[in-house]
Amino acid sequence: MFFAVAVFAGCRSNVSIPNTNAPATVAMRQVTDDLGRTVAVPVKITRVVSLAPNLTENIFAVGAGDRLVGVTTFCNYPEAAKSIAKIGDTMNPNMESIIALKPDVVFVSTASQIEAFMKTLEANKIAVYVTKADSLDALMKNLSDLGDIFGSKDISSKLISDLTTRINTIQKTAGDTRTRVFVQISKEPLFTIGNQSFLTTALGKAAAESVTRQVETAYPKLSKETALALDPEAIILSDSEDNREPNEVFKNSPAVKNGRVYKVNADLLSRPGPRLVDALEQIAKDLHPEKFPNK
Amino acid sequence: MNRKAIIIGLALLAALAAAIILAVLLGAERLPIFDLNEQQASILFDIRLPRILLGACVGASLAVAGAGLQSLLRNPLAEPYLLGVSNGAALGTMLAFVFFQSLEITRPLLAFAGAGLATVAVYRMAKSRAGMNVERLILSGVIVTTFLSSVIVMLTTLLDAAKLRSFTFWLLGDLSQATRNGVYLSLGAVIVGTIVLMSQARALNLMMVGERDAFDFGVEVGRVRMLVFGAASLVVGAAVAASGSVGYVGLIVPHLVRLSVGSDNRLVVPCSAIAGAIFVVFADTIARTAIAPRELPVGAVTALIGAPMFIYLLRRN
Amino acid sequence: MLDVRNATISYGACEVLQEISFSLEPGCVVVLLGANGAGKTTLIKALNGTLPLSSGEVTLDGKRLADISRREIAENIAVVAQENETRFPVTVLEFVLSGRFVHGNAFGWESDADIEFAKKALADCDLSGFETRLMNHLSGGERQRVVLARALATGAKILLLDEPTANLDLAHQAMMFRLVRERCSQSNYSAIVITHDLNLAAEFADEIIMLHRGRIAAAGPPEKVLTADNVQDVFGVKVLLDENPASRKLRVTAIY
Repeated sequence: MFFAVAVFAGCRSNVSIPNTNAPATVAMRQVTDDLGRTVAVPVKITRVVSLAPNLTENIFAVGAGDRLVGVTTFCNYPEAAKSIAKIGDTMNPNMESIIALKPDVVFVSTASQIEAFMKTLEANKIAVYVTKADSLDALMKNLSDLGDIFGSKDISSKLISDLTTRINTIQKTAGDTRTRVFVQISKEPLFTIGNQSFLTTALGKAAAESVTRQVETAYPKLSKETALALDPEAIILSDSEDNREPNEVFKNSPAVKNGRVYKVNADLLSRPGPRLVDALEQIAKDLHPEKFPNK
Repeated sequence: MNRKAIIIGLALLAALAAAIILAVLLGAERLPIFDLNEQQASILFDIRLPRILLGACVGASLAVAGAGLQSLLRNPLAEPYLLGVSNGAALGTMLAFVFFQSLEITRPLLAFAGAGLATVAVYRMAKSRAGMNVERLILSGVIVTTFLSSVIVMLTTLLDAAKLRSFTFWLLGDLSQATRNGVYLSLGAVIVGTIVLMSQARALNLMMVGERDAFDFGVEVGRVRMLVFGAASLVVGAAVAASGSVGYVGLIVPHLVRLSVGSDNRLVVPCSAIAGAIFVVFADTIARTAIAPRELPVGAVTALIGAPMFIYLLRRN
Repeated sequence: MLDVRNATISYGACEVLQEISFSLEPGCVVVLLGANGAGKTTLIKALNGTLPLSSGEVTLDGKRLADISRREIAENIAVVAQENETRFPVTVLEFVLSGRFVHGNAFGWESDADIEFAKKALADCDLSGFETRLMNHLSGGERQRVVLARALATGAKILLLDEPTANLDLAHQAMMFRLVRERCSQSNYSAIVITHDLNLAAEFADEIIMLHRGRIAAAGPPEKVLTADNVQDVFGVKVLLDENPASRKLRVTAIY
């Protein structure tokens, strides 16, 4: 059944509409994306599509939000993003809508299944730029690259500098003792973050350490037995409808017994973007309240 | 006849006990069985054991439903998944979850309703004036199950990412959400269902050969059909509501049982229940230890074991 | 005793059986003859309540079939029909024992008496030693005889046989008819047999009913029913009638 749907989706993306985009005299340049691919983009980019919510936030953050002509249905931040044309969701973008928007470049995150539609976009002479944000450092590089691509290096540099300062402040204030934390992405079935999640390394900045940091993949489904035995000191709930409480296996954990259960906006935790720093600040304050006396 | 039945029954029960004991000893966390501290005891009694018992109940339910449906429909390929019964139950459960989130009891109830409706739909489609024809039945089953699959896929597409994640795993069969209440409900359903099916075993022996034959020899065919469909929907509904769609159990286990004890339903029905329990306990032990501390969906393991086994059985015939 | 009074079965405008009336007395072998589509199988199905009548009635010992349970019908009437393919591994003994359905309760196993009964039925059908053989490993003729054995194993005294000799060789055709004849003559059974073999009918029948397009064209003892005119009308075939020198019964020879 899923195979049939996938084949069908694949067939649909082979639609080819002639690209009457830019006149041949537009000045182009070569840039390198996070996968090492060389991408040809106009020197002055005016129309951009984002296929991931974090990319939308990043593009707005480097001051290029006005150039977005298409975003996903999940892109809800900043406020202005809500009124931009929607071209589907991260997993199933609508090829025809994207092509019809005539973008100069489409930004994609490695988190989505990109193979099928990358080929279609390239066949329609639309540049695809792939980003891979698996750590804070990668995020900074991403912001820097975006500043470069959009010619807004002044904004992006300042942003990176501000964010870095904030991160350093958090790290210094929070101290060296890392609290053992369980990040619960969903309660039933029990999903958490693993060794390939950007959040796992970022938590170090907030003097926290994910108890599942060595488990394979980005979002593993964890055995309840292991979860119980992990005895986390604190639990962070990625705030969504099915995740308002810790799983019952934690009922005797130090985290629950001491009331150290904290909710963080799910978007903040799942999108490698500037707001990740907001999340880290919140986590640091929640975990180490004594270190941050003035809220 | 009697003595053979008792020996086989005891042997299977012994095998089930062995499977459960083995399952208790294995898991993501190593437990010193005879020297448990409080936390380890909690792991064993609150997490591992309920899950194992639920697995046994789910396996028994699916196998016994498969055995009953195969005999009733005179079709060795009849099983809850193929006939759309599992998908009907899955859709019912999903709707319960979407519309009646916190009321847990609605899930098995709507699962049962979904299973029943799917069963009736398949039966109605397959029946013609000339009677029930095997090929027509399979075709109807495939139509209903793929249709329900599409509805389920559509529903998951409309859900947000968080719910989608939890359903995608569950749809493949997932015993990790075992609770004490879930185990009790499942156990109750499988006991009732198995007893009902055993009460119809002699009638099924006749129906297995021909619906008209059964009629001629005194079977109230309509009543038997209703009881078997009802029992199958009950056990499948409870199983799917608790653990999603675990495939191949209803197909493979009754076959293997028939190869060992013959086709007399008085033996096949109870033996399928026990053998089904063994199969799923075994598969789930693999599911929760193979990539520990991560987990595989148990439905994937039963398919990986079941499909080659099925091909082997087909070739033997 | 089975009584049929004005039995009619119609599907819409099509009348499959029209106003059939006759009685089946204990000890009697009645042979049902007719061309394909004449309504013979339909009549058999009506006689054990499988098909409901549009009008008229069938009574068993005075009680209307519609008023008694399937169980009671099966205790008194046994059917030998074309056997379906068995997709499951069923042994001959299991198959025959399943005929004892009405004699047991839901959770029971067959008693030794049941098993003896079944074995005797198999022996009568020349199938001793076949008990553990699988049904779908038998030849068509052997399966046919197992089906007869199952009907005999029920202990029901009214037998309805729908083309029971279709797949049988010469020896076993005679065996089957002789068996049925014997049960009727000696144990007071009664039987209705559908066959296409006019000579077997002449040899073994007490009474012959000829069906033509859903109606009784002729009914009575063989000498009265099997006339050249009747056969020509019902079957459209010219026949020569004389006497079988060995049995002194009517002999029917078709003229091609």
